[in-house]
Amino acid sequence: MSDSQDPNRTDRRDFLFKLGTGAGIVAIAAQAGASLRSLVPNVTYDAPTTVKLGPPGEFPDGLKFLPDERVFVFRAGKTFHAISAVCTHLGCTVRAEALSRPEETTVQGQPLRLTHRFMCPCHGSKYSGDGTNVAGPAPKPLAWYRLSVSPDDGQLIVDLADEVDQSFRLTIA
Amino acid sequence: MKFLQKRAQDGPEAPGVHQRRLWSFRPASDREAGDAVVSNLVLHWFPAKIYKPSLAWTYSFWLGTISGALFFLLILSGLPLMFLYIPSVERAYQSVKDIEYVVTFGWWLRAVHRIGAHLMVVSVVLHLARVFFTGAYKNGVGEGQRREWNWVIGVAMLLLTLFLSFTGYLLPWDQLAFWAVTVGTNIASSVPLVGPKIRELLIGGRAIEQATLIRFYVLHIIVLPGALGGLIAYHMWRIRKDGGLAIADGVGVLETARETEAVPSKTYTLLGVATGTAPSVRASSVEASDVTVNAVPDLTRRAMIVILGTFALISILASAIGSPLEEPANALVTPNPAKAPWYFLWLQEIVTDTTIKLGSFTINGAFLGGVILPGVLIALLTFWPWLDRSPRSVTGEWFPRSRRTQNLVFIAITLVIIAFTVVGLFLRGPYWHFYWPWEAWPGIPGRI
Repeated sequence: MSDSQDPNRTDRRDFLFKLGTGAGIVAIAAQAGASLRSLVPNVTYDAPTTVKLGPPGEFPDGLKFLPDERVFVFRAGKTFHAISAVCTHLGCTVRAEALSRPEETTVQGQPLRLTHRFMCPCHGSKYSGDGTNVAGPAPKPLAWYRLSVSPDDGQLIVDLADEVDQSFRLTIA
Repeated sequence: MKFLQKRAQDGPEAPGVHQRRLWSFRPASDREAGDAVVSNLVLHWFPAKIYKPSLAWTYSFWLGTISGALFFLLILSGLPLMFLYIPSVERAYQSVKDIEYVVTFGWWLRAVHRIGAHLMVVSVVLHLARVFFTGAYKNGVGEGQRREWNWVIGVAMLLLTLFLSFTGYLLPWDQLAFWAVTVGTNIASSVPLVGPKIRELLIGGRAIEQATLIRFYVLHIIVLPGALGGLIAYHMWRIRKDGGLAIADGVGVLETARETEAVPSKTYTLLGVATGTAPSVRASSVEASDVTVNAVPDLTRRAMIVILGTFALISILASAIGSPLEEPANALVTPNPAKAPWYFLWLQEIVTDTTIKLGSFTINGAFLGGVILPGVLIALLTFWPWLDRSPRSVTGEWFPRSRRTQNLVFIAITLVIIAFTVVGLFLRGPYWHFYWPWEAWPGIPGRI
C-alpha cells in the first residue's frame, strides 16, 4: 500500500471507515431500540376498575359471585363487603365452598359471619371466609375491595383499585 | 504433492477439473465420496471422512439428529397450519376447531405438529442427558476445542425448545391454553420489583388478551424458530470445529507417526478442519482407512434412516393419537384442576410446596419455586463443564469411574424432577389435592 506513505490520505480513509462503521452501528442500534420500544405498551385497554353492580336490594343475603369482576359480594342484612376471587399465589380464580355450619367471629374488631371458605383449583391454596390464607402456597390473604353506593341511581359500586382492610363494611340505611 | 501425482493417474483431466458434475449417494470411489460432500449444499456440513466410532448407534443414540429431524418436521407441519390458523381471540379457537374437524387431514397435521413438539422436548432432554453422561462437553485431545461452549449453546436450545412449546400451547385459545399461560406468566410477575413489568411486556398488557395472543404467535412462528435454527447451524459448525463427536477423540490420535496410504484426491477434511484453531489431529489419522469411513454414504445412510424413522414414527403416532381441544378460553372460570403442560408440571408441583413463612414475612412459592430454583438449576447446567474436574481422557466415555459422583447427582436431580412430574400428572385432582390413581375424584361443579 503506497497510500500508507501519505499520512493525510490514511487519516481520511481511516476517518471515512470509522464514520461508515459508526453510522452503521448507530442505524442498527436505533432500529433495534425503536423496534423493542414499540413492544412496550403505552396504553392498556383494561376493563374499568370502578364497576356498578346493580341495586343493593337485588343481592341475596350471603354470597354472590360476580365472574366479570372476579369478586365475591357478601350481604348480611344491611351491611355489605366484597372479597376478591383472585388467588394471591398465581392469579387463578378461587371457588367458594359453603360451610356446613356458619361461624360467627370477630375480624379486626368487627363482627363477621363466615358462611364460606375459598379454595384455589390451581395449586390448592385455602382461605377462610374472611379471605385469610390458611393453607397451601398462597402468600397473603384475598384482597377486600371498597364498596359504595352510586349517588345517581343508588347502585352498588365496587372499586377494584381500592383495597381496604377487613374491618370495612358498607351499611345501607 | 504425492496426491497430485496420484490424481493425475485418476483421469486425463487437469487437477481440480472433475469428470462428472453430479455427485452420488453411492460413490464408486473415495473421490466421488468427497465430491458428494463438497458439491452438495446440504451434505456440505459433513466432513468427507468420519471416524467409525462416531457412527455407533449405541454411543449417541442419534438423539441430536432425531431432535433436528423433529424440528424440521415441525416447520413442515407448521407451514400448512399457518395458512389455516387465525391469531385473533375471536377466531383462533374456531379456526383450530376447523383444522381439527373440517379441514381435510387438518386433524393429522395438527397431531403431527403437537406430537412432534412433545417428542422434541423429550429428545432434546435425552440428548442433553447423553452428552452429560458421556462427558461429551469436555475437551479431549484436540487443540482449540471449545466443547463447553457448544454445551452452553445446547442449554440455550433446550430453553428455546421449551419456550417454543409453551408459546404454541396458547394458540388454540382454549381453557387449557388460557390457564396454563395465566399461571406461567404470573410466575414471571412474582419476581420482586421488576416482576409485574416483565409480565406486562410478555403479555402486552395487564390481562391475557389479543396482545398476548399475537405476541405468542409471532414468537412461535418466527422469532423462536429463527433463533433455534441459527443456533442449530452454529451447534453443527462447532461440532466440526471441535473435531467431531467426543468419542472420536481417542481414535483421532496416533500414538506414533505411521505411514498411511496416499489419498487419491483432496479431501474437504483438510480444508475444513486443518485451520488454525482446529484440533491438531494429524491428517494421516483422518485419512487412515482403518479408523475412518467416507461420510457419503456411511454417515448419510444412517442419518437418512434416523430421519425417515422419526418421520414415520410421528406420522403413525399422529394417526393414532388425537389432539385435545377443550372449551374456548374463559377468563371467568378456572378449570379444576388447572394443570400446566407436562414438562412444566414438576415446576407447578414445586411452586405449590415452596411458599415459606418467616415470622410475618412470606416468600411466594411462585418466586422460590418458579424463578429461583429453576434459575439455579439452569445456571448449574450451564456452568457444569467448568465445574467438572474429571480427566480429559474420559471424554466421550459412557459412565466412567472418575465421573461417577456427578453422574449420580445428575441422575438424582432427574429422578426428583420425574417424580414431581408423575405426581403432578397422575396424582393431583381438584384443588390440587392428592389422589391415588384408583381413588375417584369428588364431583366438583364446573361453575359456582
